[in-house]
Amino acid sequence: MKETTIAEVRNLVKSYGARGFQSRVLKGISLTVLRNDFIAVMGPSGSGKTTLLNILSTIDRPTEGTVILDGRDIAQISNRELSRLRREKIGFIFQDYNLLDTMTLEDNIVLPLALGGVPAGECIRKGRELAGMFGLDGHLGKYPYQLSGGQKQRGAACRALATDPEILFADEPTGALDSRSGKELMECLSRVNDQGRATILMVTHDPFCASYAKDVCFLRDGQILCRISRGTDRKEFCDRILDMQAAMGGDFS
Amino acid sequence: MTMWKLAWMNFRQSVKNYLSLVVSLAFTVLVFMNFQNLIYSEVFQVLGSHNKEYIDLLVQMVSFVLACFMFFFVGYATGVFLTRRKKEIGTYVFMGLSNQKIGELYSIETMLMGLAALGLGLGAGILTAGLFQMVLLALGGFDLEVHFLVSPKPVVITAVVYLGIYLFFVGKGYVNIVRSSVLAMIQAAKQNEYVRQNRLFLSVRAVAGAGLLGTGYYLAVRKGGPEVMAYAFTAMVLVMAGVYLVFGGLIPLVFWGLAGNKRFLYRKERLLWVSRVIFCMKKNYRTYAMVSILVLCSVTALAMGVAMKQRYGNMVHFENIYTFQLLSSQKGVGPRAESIIRKYTDIRYQGEIPFLVLDDQAMGPDPGDARAAILSYSNVVGLTETAPLECSFPEPGDDEVIKVSQLYLMSLITRRTGMEVKIAGKSYRQTMETSEPYLGYLQEQISFYLVSDREYERLRHLGQEQYTWNYRISDLAAFGAVKEALEELSGTGEGCYTARIAVDPGKNDTDWVRVLYPFCFFMFLVFLMASGSMMLMKVYNDALDERERCQILRRMGIDGKALYRAIVWELGTAYGLCFLVMILSSWFSVRALGNMMYTDLTAVYAGSVLAVFASLAVFCGLSVTVYWNNVTV
Repeated sequence: MKETTIAEVRNLVKSYGARGFQSRVLKGISLTVLRNDFIAVMGPSGSGKTTLLNILSTIDRPTEGTVILDGRDIAQISNRELSRLRREKIGFIFQDYNLLDTMTLEDNIVLPLALGGVPAGECIRKGRELAGMFGLDGHLGKYPYQLSGGQKQRGAACRALATDPEILFADEPTGALDSRSGKELMECLSRVNDQGRATILMVTHDPFCASYAKDVCFLRDGQILCRISRGTDRKEFCDRILDMQAAMGGDFS
Repeated sequence: MTMWKLAWMNFRQSVKNYLSLVVSLAFTVLVFMNFQNLIYSEVFQVLGSHNKEYIDLLVQMVSFVLACFMFFFVGYATGVFLTRRKKEIGTYVFMGLSNQKIGELYSIETMLMGLAALGLGLGAGILTAGLFQMVLLALGGFDLEVHFLVSPKPVVITAVVYLGIYLFFVGKGYVNIVRSSVLAMIQAAKQNEYVRQNRLFLSVRAVAGAGLLGTGYYLAVRKGGPEVMAYAFTAMVLVMAGVYLVFGGLIPLVFWGLAGNKRFLYRKERLLWVSRVIFCMKKNYRTYAMVSILVLCSVTALAMGVAMKQRYGNMVHFENIYTFQLLSSQKGVGPRAESIIRKYTDIRYQGEIPFLVLDDQAMGPDPGDARAAILSYSNVVGLTETAPLECSFPEPGDDEVIKVSQLYLMSLITRRTGMEVKIAGKSYRQTMETSEPYLGYLQEQISFYLVSDREYERLRHLGQEQYTWNYRISDLAAFGAVKEALEELSGTGEGCYTARIAVDPGKNDTDWVRVLYPFCFFMFLVFLMASGSMMLMKVYNDALDERERCQILRRMGIDGKALYRAIVWELGTAYGLCFLVMILSSWFSVRALGNMMYTDLTAVYAGSVLAVFASLAVFCGLSVTVYWNNVTV
């Protein structure tokens, strides 16, 4: 079966600062994300992980290079189209959950669907199905402040998946969670990916969390240093990631 | 950096954000000062000491209301400011500042804001004193000379009253900060997170609110005798409490119900704004209640002003219906009087009407017997054929009476029908009350009861019939001469008398009533400005808290237009709810006012509501702009 390309970056360059005093954060990155990939991006602080994620997720624009999402170059489409793209094709999981305090968990999950004009019945069905997948059935009526960090982040994952996005971007999704909650979240994301329901690109500094991905890309000084694949044994993969981190040095926190 | 410098820096940064508050406070100061200026200005001196005394008394009453209002408004504004600043200045804790120092910082900043409002208000007040008088005189229909000079006294009084109130609340805020725990200050922002409310608690509030409002409305329009004063006061308290509980119970409960119905909720941006309304209602219900009460007061004030204006016109008409009246115990005075008057001027209209004064013995020993004169239906109808008066009601039955009374400016006795009236030992049912000036000046002095012709005939032998001839002259300049000439008819003889009554068309002893309309109009403006700026202030604060949420939504790819629509719905709902509560409550308050003023104020109510609607729509539009600009920074 032919593998579909979901996102592709070619010679991506991102610079910040005024002309003449620019600092290059990304220096010619090329990466292809295929359907049902689960890629973790790791690297020391300042290596450009979050910048790469922001550009891929259309929140930021590249200085040079091409970013193809949904078969289209994001530099060529209007802000309005970008909004639509974000709404319909992309899902986000943020480190600090970003659930809306004013809504119940169920409302938070179905928000993108409701705003997209999906009929109420379908919103309800989809919201409950996702909550079931992420072990949140009993918490749908609760408000974010009544949930634990892990539950909030799983709720955020449900919201991100509600619109059946082409790709899910996760920025340090376990960064604010304890190890148990982080493990529960990664197991859920891994299961969803295994079921073929989500293509995931995740930025993380946590090797344990990264070991749930199928591939890990290591970034250093704005360039992809190497890419390693999991194979079948997750524990062995985790050890390889740790070895790689040790070899690269730098601050991975 | 000194405290003063830091406070000055903070003030400069936040003055733009609190501009609506400063402007509203300044407007209140301006109006208060201009009202005070009326006492010390000589503009009303020419109306005579009688009118001036009444006007000064009214100014003092308005000033008292304004001062009370200023007290609550400053309290509210400094309260909002304190909450906002608490969130921000909590960070100073980490710089090692003590609570006392933080309190000092808050006090200086708040005082700077208060002083800015005072300076602006007094400055604008001094500059606009002439204009204020011009508007006031024009609205009141006075043709008087405007005094542009402002004496220092009203300025000092205004500054003292305002600063007294302001310092009280600044001191209160200082004590609050000094007594606050460091944790409370740092966590002040996090109090926004809690949304869920106890349904049982809400239900109890909802039932209590609806009950209090219902009772208040009932008491407001309940008619009665002197007890109406107590009804009105109780109604005011109940409606105010009821409005608070409706916003704190019934409305959240309704929205909780809507939010529970997911099929209703999950329709585009409805999910966003309904959840926000629920959230805001918990945080802001006191503000919404206060705004509703303020706009209710503004509608009532405007309705009262317009009603007073109408009333004044009616009173002038009542007083001037006849220029001369002749009262006699004998028939036949009329033709002589007419010929005397015609020597000096034409007669615009005239009419004669007898009435019956019952003997003391006939009235009987019962102290419940009415002390009033009796009119017969046919005589009244006869009068209306020659004088421009109306008698559109049917002849009363033999056991019925119609009270013919003077035109009061306002009366707390609102029950005018259904009462039992005892005349000469017989009970009659009062079917209506009219203040059509059939007997002009005499009607202001004596109460009349109109009975059927048959009853009149039956009562005739129990008293003595008196005769009146009433004239309105064409040339009012001849008033003095006619008055002199008619004097010859006055006199008393054996068992008979004739009296001449002259109503000076130039008399102005009720001119003070005319200032009520402009006074009420300014109160209307003050209340409206205050309610709008309170909402603006709240919206601005909410917008600052909402920035993060909006950023999340934008990152999720939520369309800006959808967000804007959600904001319009959210703020529109907040304003709409205040407006709805006001519409309902003011209908009863205006009706109560109408009862007291013997008039139908439906048209005035509709006009006032429309004026408030237009103002609130403007404030709502401003709020949406302020909100949108702040959340999308």
